[in-house]
Amino acid sequence: MHFFIFILTLLSIKFLSAEELNLFTTRHYDSDVEIFKDFTEETGIKINIISGEAKPLEKRILDEGESCIGDLFFLADAGRLVSAEKKGVFRKVNSVSLKQQIPEQFRSNYWFGITKRARIIYYNPTKTSLKELENLNYEDLSHQRFDKSIAIRQSNNVYNQSLVASMIENNGVLKTKEWLKSFVKNFSKPPSGNDRAQILSVASGESKLAIANTYYHALMASGKKGKEQQNAAKKVKPFFPNQKNRGTHMNISGIGVLKHSPNPSNAIKFIEFLLSPKAQKHIVDNTYEYPMIDSVEPSTIIIQMGINFKQDNQTNVSSYGKWQKEAFKLMKDANWN
Amino acid sequence: MELNKFLTGTNSTSVLDNILYYLVLAISIFSIIPFFTIIINSSLVNFDYSLLIESQFLTYVRNSFMIVSCVLILTFIFGVFSAYLVTFHNFYGANFFKYALILSFAIPPYIFGYSMSAFFENYGVGYSIINFFFDTEMANIYLPDFSPITNSVISLTFTLYGYVFLLSRASFINQSANLIDLGKSMGFTPSQRFLKIILPCARPGIFVGLSLVAMETLSDFGTVSFFGVSTFTTGIYNSWFIFDDLETSNFLSLLLLFFILVFFTIENLSRKKSKFHLLKNDRRNKKTDLSGKKKFFAFLFCLSLFTVSFIFPFSQMIYWSIKFPEYFENLNILKLNLNTFLIIFCTASLIIAFSLISNFGNRVFKNKLLSSFSNLSISGYAIPGIIISVSIISFLSLISGISNLNLKTLFIGSFYGLILGYFFRFYAISFNGIKSNYLKINYSIDESSYLMGFNKFKTFYEIHWPILKKNIFFIFVLISIEIIKELPITLILRPFNFETFSIKAYNFASQDLIEAAAIPSMFLIFWTSILILISLNYFFDEDK
Repeated sequence: MHFFIFILTLLSIKFLSAEELNLFTTRHYDSDVEIFKDFTEETGIKINIISGEAKPLEKRILDEGESCIGDLFFLADAGRLVSAEKKGVFRKVNSVSLKQQIPEQFRSNYWFGITKRARIIYYNPTKTSLKELENLNYEDLSHQRFDKSIAIRQSNNVYNQSLVASMIENNGVLKTKEWLKSFVKNFSKPPSGNDRAQILSVASGESKLAIANTYYHALMASGKKGKEQQNAAKKVKPFFPNQKNRGTHMNISGIGVLKHSPNPSNAIKFIEFLLSPKAQKHIVDNTYEYPMIDSVEPSTIIIQMGINFKQDNQTNVSSYGKWQKEAFKLMKDANWN
Repeated sequence: MELNKFLTGTNSTSVLDNILYYLVLAISIFSIIPFFTIIINSSLVNFDYSLLIESQFLTYVRNSFMIVSCVLILTFIFGVFSAYLVTFHNFYGANFFKYALILSFAIPPYIFGYSMSAFFENYGVGYSIINFFFDTEMANIYLPDFSPITNSVISLTFTLYGYVFLLSRASFINQSANLIDLGKSMGFTPSQRFLKIILPCARPGIFVGLSLVAMETLSDFGTVSFFGVSTFTTGIYNSWFIFDDLETSNFLSLLLLFFILVFFTIENLSRKKSKFHLLKNDRRNKKTDLSGKKKFFAFLFCLSLFTVSFIFPFSQMIYWSIKFPEYFENLNILKLNLNTFLIIFCTASLIIAFSLISNFGNRVFKNKLLSSFSNLSISGYAIPGIIISVSIISFLSLISGISNLNLKTLFIGSFYGLILGYFFRFYAISFNGIKSNYLKINYSIDESSYLMGFNKFKTFYEIHWPILKKNIFFIFVLISIEIIKELPITLILRPFNFETFSIKAYNFASQDLIEAAAIPSMFLIFWTSILILISLNYFFDEDK
């Protein structure tokens, strides 16, 4: 029996040389894979990948424990990074260069933000004038003048949870609860579809305002989804809220080294590579996110949307993890489906 | 010589019997591992039962109930009526549709959902078509805006009605012409004959079809989450993904399983009272010609069904693949095909071998313990894939924790683990398929075989196997179709760098690039269609 298991084990595990890194990721971009290949060319270290959803991967890593051969976990939401950190998925990393490159609110001792995304408002200039939106904050979206005019996706979406979590962090539970009640009444239709569906709803005139992450609009504008979508993208304009106070809500994609990583030093090397100007440029040009380091510009499409806006640099993204569950409860209580 | 001794030897029979008995018991116990792990992990004692009366939970139940009822009613109408038309009547295309309508099996509900949403969304495919002909910006307004529940019901109905079609047609084919003639001579109109004779006689088949539809609908996550409906399965996911509460998630899965089992029991009990027989020498039905108008409507009905369920999603995938050929570049199509074939071959062979042994053992021992374990072993089919994967991970951790065996390394993130996951999920298909064929072999044949001096194993080898093997290929195809379409288990348990068509399609769809997801989806549909086509003869074995 033991012999049998031994043979099966031999067959199932590739003997890992130091020249491999195993990465779990919840980002599904092919462009990520392309830049990983550059890392392999530069260092000779091969990157093996499993993509999937956050919680199942987290469960797999935790239950595998010491026998987990994974080195890194790449997640597309700050709240999820915090949740993984709390459960002991990551190991502490002391890297001076990482600390220098990443602003404090976008990292912890366990994980590091690699890219940023902004959750902003889209409007249709033929239906809504820019003047109507002057000095608009997320907080103002509960106002009666937006009755039945806002398109936003469902409450089970993690970006919405993080947005509401950031409002709880800044305004408190009670105020956010009140805000949600009136905000949900302003929905133009029952939430369904992804962020792009909300932008399209504004483009077609069905809704006045949409809340969506910037890269959805950029993807449409890029023509990767065909001419019609590109034309529809031109019908809407981005608006960056909360410019007179804390700034527009930012979220991150971030990565951490796994607690039982067989190759932690290479894993850190890999994170440092992801923050190199070359890798940052490649990622943001393909995914239309915002770069983490200042020396790199976003993609041309994102620049055209406007990059001189105030990003929320005062709310630590860790707070999203702290408040996400509460946020979801409040959203559900307010009948946000 | 050795084999002969094995088959006829009398001395070793009792030892072999014992081995077989324990082997079957082991297989049955093995296949209910997920079921037990879910019970253990749902902590029934400490569970906060007040959750069950919260409004959120009631919404899950209400929506699930609504979707299941609508899907059942619609699949019943579409499946039974189309099967009735192609079995009992001649009209243009009837012979084509009797096969073509099965192709709906090739489309996974979530891919149907993708194409529906891409067609009806603002500035989507439907918009482009209207815009092309009429050059109007108003196209968005003309297109219907379905609610999330309607969208889910439509996607599930058109991808699942095939079960009802297939099983009711199989029952219709076997129906006695004498009974129907009797109806005619009693002056029944065609619709009376349909309602009073044909339909009641086909009840067992239709019910099995509907229960498969119900199980698939209840455990579906891909479609309802894509459209954003809060159902039982989304509840299972939300408790875990958002509240980090795997216990509640397990508890809800158990509850889901319980509902499904209740449903089955009621069906079984209701059927026990009536008996359905087909006399061997009974005449088969002759098809009747439909009159002008009816002929046209029969054709139109089947054509619409085929177009919506198969042509609509498949043609969109082809359209995108041609329109966006650049997405071919990032696909290693050869490797994806190889991965798919390898996993299908290994898993299907294992599942079939195990269910053959288990069925054989159940037949020869007629043991209550064995049969009750075996009946439970099909529960895997009703458990959502993601919960199966989690229970495998939990179980392996448990075993590794209490013993020295490091099973985690062996099974989590390996090819074997993937096979294990598929085994638990799809064992029911094979077990039930072989079981239904076994039931067709009369027990008196076994007794005659023993009288002739054959032992159990020789009876299997010489008598059962020749009868069963015809259908093994068909079961192989059914399992393969399910594996190709499978998503959640593959996502969690696969080894590094291992991808399948469904994983690729999911990855692109997650990037909001349904255009790119079209290529893997197209391959997925292509292979499942091929599998269906090469096994067409087996679908209607008796239709000669």
